[in-house]
Order: sequence, then structure tokens, then C-alpha cells
Amino acid sequence: MSWLTDLLTRSGDALIARFAAWARTLRFGTVTLAGILSPGLYNSATRTVVQKQIYFTAWQILFGFNLFAAVFSLILIRIATTAAQNYGLGDLALELILRILVIELLPLMTALFIALRSGAAINAEVALMNITNEIEALHSVGIDPLRLEFLPRVIGGVVSVLALTALTSLTALLIAYLELYGPQAHGFADFTWVIGQVYSPLLLFGLWLKCLLFGLAVTVIPIAAGLDSPHKLFFAPIAVLSGMVRLFFALMLIEVGSLAITYL
Amino acid sequence: MLVSAELPLRANLSVLENIALVPQYRHNAKAHVANERAWALLERLGYTACAHLRDPDLDFEQRFVAKLLRAVIAKPSIIVIERPGLLLPDTPYPRFLAEVLSQLDKDIDTFRIVDYAWHAPLYPPI
Repeated sequence: MSWLTDLLTRSGDALIARFAAWARTLRFGTVTLAGILSPGLYNSATRTVVQKQIYFTAWQILFGFNLFAAVFSLILIRIATTAAQNYGLGDLALELILRILVIELLPLMTALFIALRSGAAINAEVALMNITNEIEALHSVGIDPLRLEFLPRVIGGVVSVLALTALTSLTALLIAYLELYGPQAHGFADFTWVIGQVYSPLLLFGLWLKCLLFGLAVTVIPIAAGLDSPHKLFFAPIAVLSGMVRLFFALMLIEVGSLAITYL
Repeated sequence: MLVSAELPLRANLSVLENIALVPQYRHNAKAHVANERAWALLERLGYTACAHLRDPDLDFEQRFVAKLLRAVIAKPSIIVIERPGLLLPDTPYPRFLAEVLSQLDKDIDTFRIVDYAWHAPLYPPI
């Protein structure tokens, strides 16, 4: 029976450790939100970090990512319009595109891309800062690392997710118009009418809230995972691994939650 | 304020940025003003050549100077240099420290060097 006791003890410990890690992430998220809303956060140094974060997360990839999103949108719009016409539902093609592509897929794709590109980098950097004692070194010269290093990254990440989602969505709308009506103005009234029907204020608020949560997740979770890592170099890959897994589940949870609220 | 081997520079910032960060953050100094102050300190010690290098590209002396100036620019009432032998393993450090600290005497009120007791003969008598 001792093997069973050992097994249950180990499983229980692992479960508790997982819950504890999520609890620390949520606690860090709460502290982050409070910090972001505090006017005392913003000074010359923190503004510089916010600018750098936006540059690396959004500006550097703006063209390439938007191009990729445009190609992806074009393919999906073609599929949606062809399928809708085949079933005699051509009138609903635009609504289908708006609901699936613009509201669901593009925000999720943007968040996943930023998570893979910047989230992983932030996770590794914070883990290394923690392991090599850089956080303590900042404290020693009177600098609060939360205020200087972490909160500006969260702000930069949130701004980047919102900006890239807005840009890719606008590009997708433009492609959808050109695909449905061609390069002419005659369909503009119908097009904007459908947009007005689909994007109710409540839905737009939900979309904005979802993107905000995506932005918070892609920065808060990697930072919290990096801070969680013990002060040993070989834990750095483990910190990145656990942070990325947590981030993936959080993004999926936000997406599924938003779908459930919208359609159930 | 402590200068120690266990308190590294920010790895993704250059020497100049590491030093300028302190007034920029603590006194909300504009970036160019903070950079000018940091540059002036580096110039006084003759270490401007490493101003734009990052931590992994520095030799021991350059890294020590960067850490010391990061502490000095904050204008603390006391600076403690902890185990300089760890910071300057291939430099005859008592003489090097004396030279560097004498060039910064206007900026440092008090300094203390914490070293192993068996290194006492390396230092001149007080």
C-alpha cells in the first residue's frame, strides 16, 4: 500500500504546486492592474521601456504580420464566400466572415503570435533576471523592478495586442469588401449596414475586453512564470516551458469563455 | 549602496544605459540629461570606450567601473565595495581601487571596502 500512498502524495503535491503557481500568477496580475492604474508608475525610465516594448512587440513585426494576416484572411474569405454561395447562402457570407474571422480568429491569432514571439522572450528574460540576481541588483540601486521592468512590459504588450488586432481586422474588412464587391463603391452601403448589424455595442465591448485579456495574458503569465523560477540556471528552460503552457491554456480559456458568453 | 559581484548589471542595457538608468528612474531625469551625467562620469575615469558595450562584452575592470558608477550616480551617503578580489580577479586591485576612488572623491562622501581579513596586508595602513 505504501506505493499507493507515495503516488497519491506525489500527485497531490503536484496538483497543489500547480494551483499555487496559478494563484501567484493571479496575484501578480492583480498587482499589475493596480500598478498600471497608478499615476506614480510613469516616469522617464518607464516610458522608455514601454516604447521599447511596443517597438519590439508590434512595430518590428507590423508589416510581416499584417501581410500574413492578409493572406490568411483572403484564403478564409474565399472559402467562406464560396461555401456560402454553394449552399445558396451568399447573403450571409459577410456576416459569417465578420463573426468567425474578425471577431474570433484574428484576435486569437494575434495573441498566439505575440505569445510565441514576445511572451516567450519575456519569460526567458525575466527568468534569467531572477536567476542571475539582476532583480536584486536593481533593488540595491533604489529601482523597483516591478515599476521599471515588468509593468511597462505589460502595458506595451496590451497596447501591441490591441493595435495589431485592430490593424489586421481592418485589413480583413478591406479584403472582404474587395472580394465581395470588387474595387467599386456601390456595395459600401450594404457592407456598412451588415457591419452595423453584426457589431452591436455590446459585441464590440466584448471584443475589446477579450483583446485586453489576451494582452494581459501574453505578458503577465510569462513574467509571473519567470519570477517563479528558482535561482538556478538549469531552471530557466523549465520556467519558460511552464509559462508557455500556462499561457496557452489561459488564451484558450479566454477564447472559449468569450465564445460561450457570445453564443450560449 | 553596495558594489558586489553578486549584484550584476542589467544584461540587456549598455554600460551607459545602466548608469543613466538610475537618475532617469529615481529623479525622472530626461534620457539625454541622464546620459550626459553618466558619460561625464565615464569620461572622468577614462572608460568611455566601453560606454556602449553590454555586460558579457566587458572585461573585469570595465564591469567594476560600470557597477561603481551606477552606485556613485545615485549620490548615496555611503558606498560599500564588497570583496573587490571577486570583482577584479586579474587586477592588482588595492592600487586600482585607490586610483579610481581618488578620481571620484567629489562624488563619494564615504566608502567602505569589505574584504577578507587575510587581505588586510594588501591595503595601506589607515
